[in-house]
Amino acid sequence: MKKLALLALSALAVFGLSACGSTEEGWDASSTITVYTRDTSSGTRAGFMGGIDFDDAAEDDSLLVDGFVIKDNTGIFTSMKTDEYGIGYISLATLDETVKGLFFDGVEPTVANVINDTYGLKRPFNYVTRAMDDYANDTEKDISMAFVAFMATTDGADIITNQGAVPLESTETWDDIKADYPVCEQDNSAVTIKFGGSDSIEKIAKALTEEFAPKCGDFVPEHDHTGSSDGFKRTQGSEKDGDNYKHIGFASRPFKAEEAGETGTQGQLAWDAIVAIVHLDNEVSNVTAEDLKKIYSGEYTTWDELLD
Amino acid sequence: MEYIKNLKDKLKDAFHFNSKKERTDAVVRGFFLLATVLSASFIIVIVFFIALEGMIPFVTDNDGLGRVDLVRFLTGTTWLEGTAFQSNLYAVGFIIVNTLYIAFLSLLLSMPIGVLTALFIAKIAPKRIAEVLRTVVELLAAIPSIVYGLFGSGLIIVFVYNFAKLFGVQSKGGNSVLATVLVLSLMILPTITALSEVAIRSVGKDIEHGSLALGATRTQTNFKVVLTSAKSGIFTAAILGVGRALGEATAVSLVAGNARSGPSLGFFQTTSTLTSTMLQGLKETIGIDYDIRFSVGIVLMIVILITNMTLNFIKRKVGNVDVK
Repeated sequence: MKKLALLALSALAVFGLSACGSTEEGWDASSTITVYTRDTSSGTRAGFMGGIDFDDAAEDDSLLVDGFVIKDNTGIFTSMKTDEYGIGYISLATLDETVKGLFFDGVEPTVANVINDTYGLKRPFNYVTRAMDDYANDTEKDISMAFVAFMATTDGADIITNQGAVPLESTETWDDIKADYPVCEQDNSAVTIKFGGSDSIEKIAKALTEEFAPKCGDFVPEHDHTGSSDGFKRTQGSEKDGDNYKHIGFASRPFKAEEAGETGTQGQLAWDAIVAIVHLDNEVSNVTAEDLKKIYSGEYTTWDELLD
Repeated sequence: MEYIKNLKDKLKDAFHFNSKKERTDAVVRGFFLLATVLSASFIIVIVFFIALEGMIPFVTDNDGLGRVDLVRFLTGTTWLEGTAFQSNLYAVGFIIVNTLYIAFLSLLLSMPIGVLTALFIAKIAPKRIAEVLRTVVELLAAIPSIVYGLFGSGLIIVFVYNFAKLFGVQSKGGNSVLATVLVLSLMILPTITALSEVAIRSVGKDIEHGSLALGATRTQTNFKVVLTSAKSGIFTAAILGVGRALGEATAVSLVAGNARSGPSLGFFQTTSTLTSTMLQGLKETIGIDYDIRFSVGIVLMIVILITNMTLNFIKRKVGNVDVK
């Protein structure tokens, strides 16, 4: 009995250790490509599939190669640290040197290249506010308006840049325009402004409000980011008067036709670049839209087909 | 007439109190009843709500897409054929198989470990060590599932990926049946251990002493007498363990790879369960793609119900020894 248990234990230990230890034999191009994707409701997926001219696959899994893996943004990012033969796509904001961001049509995925409009794989970051006559009081409305104005200033642009997204062009600072928003002179510490919508924009929205609240009477920003669809739904759509109502919602994709709100309540605050990523050991460093489409549709199944 | 008179008397009895104490008793009883009705009615409300939402894809024409075919839904091998929001060809047949397969494997793995741990804590370990171990098990049971999920996606899938490489298998970054089973086994282990331990501890000392007096060794007694006597309680532990395995969503969706067709029976294949399928994209979707997740919820409730009934049936079959 004792011997048997010991034997089993040692066998388990050997297995465990050897599985942990490295079994590197270099990167093998003849290996199968493991395709990672976001699920069909993801704005990043829609942006990516649109960018590689494979729009139909944005909401149709059956067009993708067999055996794809569905993960979220961080899930795909961390998977590429492990899976030498995987390929996925993430927001440029998430990219760091622990994985390899692929050049797209020969252009490096950097903020500078998105600004000068040479990098092609990108999607818009949009905002939507409540309808003009649909605020509980004027203070909430005025603060929301001031926030929208702040996003378009150079101060706002700096924050957006720091978060890895790429802001639209701006010339004025907040100090130049703050006289137009007298509400920010008051003490707003009892006012709560609710932000929601796309979770891809959550980091940026939080950074913006953190900076802006002290500039505007210390209003209390409340963030609850649940996805692009909720951006419109909870400001002007079916949930605008529900418990989850928001003052300002975000969407990391263009607003759909049925999400057209009151004129002047919607706009763009930034661009987000999407970047195809692989493991650091991967020998591929540049892809075209066509390459990516062939990988995701299953036409290329091994890496050497792409390298040839 | 006679009947009404009787009824009147009964009512009189019911509302007639001999003393203040009896009245207090009645009031307290009333409160208990109220609490029971309240908690029981929540179950009804939940089931009713899920059923109502989940029926929509089968009874309405889903904004022109047409009704979902129930038989196809229950037997198909691809989650959705065609474009989301433009197709009604949903199916969960393979996911039901995946879910049961994973729950079964998880139970197979954690049942022996859990029961043996429980036996050790209850019968073999010195009192002080047993106390510490019991606290550890209780702590493990209290860890939220997302933490297990993070552990799984940070450590277990990397382990599985390298483990597969040993066999020359290129897994999908470790997202697999095996990773899911490992995470779920970890999660249900404390449940099984804690409940089995209670069951083992409640085995009568006289049975144990009888066995020892007949000349059986400690080990023989523990395995042949104590465990057999506690098997009803251990079965209850298994039932609750399976319940948790079937119902876990967060941790599973982080390590399963969320396959959209199947069933996945190979250890290194990506997989999906009913719960992970419900969770994927739930917060970002609308229309039929949203409603159909409630239908999956109904299927899940039925699967859990049937599994529990089966296990309860087996539990009755294997019988019971007199246990305090």
